Amino acid sequence: MGVVGGEAGVDHPPPDPVVRLEGLTKDYGRHRALDGIDLTVGPGEIFGYLGPNGAGKTTTIRLLLGLLRPTAGRATVLGLDSWRDSTAVHARAGYLPGEPTMNGRLTGRELVSYFAALRRRPADVTSATGLADRFDLDLDRRIRALSRGNRQKLAIVQAFMSDPDLVVLDEPTSGLDPLVQQEFHQLLGETTARGATVLFSSHVLNEVDRVADRVGIIRQGRLVAVEHLADLRAKALHRVEARITGPVDLGPFRSLDGVRDLTVEDGVLRCGVPRPSLDGLIKALGRYPVADLSVTEADLEELFLAYYSEASADAA
Amino acid sequence: MRLSVFARTARDQRRSMVAWAIGLVLLVGMYVGVYPSVKGSGSSFTKLIDQMPKTFRALFTTGGGVDFTTPAGYLNTELLTFMGPMLVLVYAIGAGSALAGEEDRGTLDLLLANPIGRARVLLEKFAALAAGVAVLMTALWLALLVEGSAAGMDVPLAHAAAAVLHLGLLGVEFGALALLVGALTGRLALARAVPAGVAVAAYLVNGFASIVSWLGPIRASSPFYQYIGHDPLRTGLSPTAVLVSVLGIAVLVGLATASFRRRDVLT
Repeated sequence: MGVVGGEAGVDHPPPDPVVRLEGLTKDYGRHRALDGIDLTVGPGEIFGYLGPNGAGKTTTIRLLLGLLRPTAGRATVLGLDSWRDSTAVHARAGYLPGEPTMNGRLTGRELVSYFAALRRRPADVTSATGLADRFDLDLDRRIRALSRGNRQKLAIVQAFMSDPDLVVLDEPTSGLDPLVQQEFHQLLGETTARGATVLFSSHVLNEVDRVADRVGIIRQGRLVAVEHLADLRAKALHRVEARITGPVDLGPFRSLDGVRDLTVEDGVLRCGVPRPSLDGLIKALGRYPVADLSVTEADLEELFLAYYSEASADAA
Repeated sequence: MRLSVFARTARDQRRSMVAWAIGLVLLVGMYVGVYPSVKGSGSSFTKLIDQMPKTFRALFTTGGGVDFTTPAGYLNTELLTFMGPMLVLVYAIGAGSALAGEEDRGTLDLLLANPIGRARVLLEKFAALAAGVAVLMTALWLALLVEGSAAGMDVPLAHAAAAVLHLGLLGVEFGALALLVGALTGRLALARAVPAGVAVAAYLVNGFASIVSWLGPIRASSPFYQYIGHDPLRTGLSPTAVLVSVLGIAVLVGLATASFRRRDVLT
């Protein structure tokens, strides 16, 4: 899904995707942790990488940063090989590890100064100070004296301070309270607004739900689905409950596209329908006296689980 | 070229470095302080040691002779044969395992995510180890000169320098071994235990080589032999021993770099 050059008469080669995984495979001894992942993420995109713990999210991210060596396949960032050209990749990427561990004897400021020096970008300290203010983080306290949430903030600050073209975040919001999460989501928006790309992993879908453009669902080392969030939402079922007086003919409801779990019990009709079928459902209900009606959007979590059960059904 | 990893590591070591230097100065002070009373009965000490079973003597004198009647002989046996190397090795193995320590604690992931090559990180960690040992050896040298002359033990300046240089190389060599084990395995416990075990073996090989004939041919491979086999406090610098030690260190660091670049970083 490369972007085709726009201007007429000028033949631009398609730009390198920011992230490209090709048959990316990683074995730990006999255990295959990652099995042939193919994925591209384009510029300005926020990509949510979803899966339960142990599915291979962290392995993918650490391969992408050249901390692990692929068993087969490869990962590239902006056309640079993650393993062979890892130093060049690091110059363009910010990284937030899943369990960020930093030297506890340093203060936050010492840590960001150290990393800014390693990046040969002394001005990053200024940008880190700005980010820390924004997240209400005291950079002058020793890291070991920081709470888990504040450590996470510091890890976020160092990942974003160099204005990287790609930010790779492993479970970024763990330990953050909701207000800080909101600020963080805003930061993600600003990051992509300046053209940078964000790839972040999570095992909670409704977190990704609010910010991601696309999501990939990984399960047991395989990428089982990559979807635009809008499409995913369209597939998400709405739970409908309608209290109807009198007998109901289920026929018109059964013929609705994608309807599931249709039941009538004690005068209450229940079913799940995807958004495109809502209109038909309302019209079918219109023929009956409706005493009460509730429609709730099933959270993506349920859809997520549905994906998982499908995948395990395939495996069986 | 900014040596940021070196600078950071050196700063992290600074406080313990001061404690180590003070410890060495006090240790030298203690040995020097008791020398007048040992000197008076120097020959009887020597006789006592001469009467010890050959194996014990080899162990405590690293195969060399014992002479408590001269300051150099006394310091050689008391300070440079056992206590000195032991302390330097504990320090150097600790400093050499700093990289494995970062990996063990999990701070290496973020460090290596910066645009700096793994080889560069390893070499700067090695430089910090070598610099730390150099600082300690300078402190030891100054202590020998100042405290020695205050006690009327005139230790020749150049010979004392040669002795601490050889001792420093011994330390750096085992520190480099710790670095190699850490680079290979990423395990802090191994990076400390393996060099400690090898040091004991190397010490025994050098010590027993004078009485166990089959150890003779491998004696020169012991870093302890390169360090003290030629009795540097009395004979001064041995360029050959320096060269052998430096080559050994270069091989260890080279292997460490090669293996560290090839493998996965542990979480």
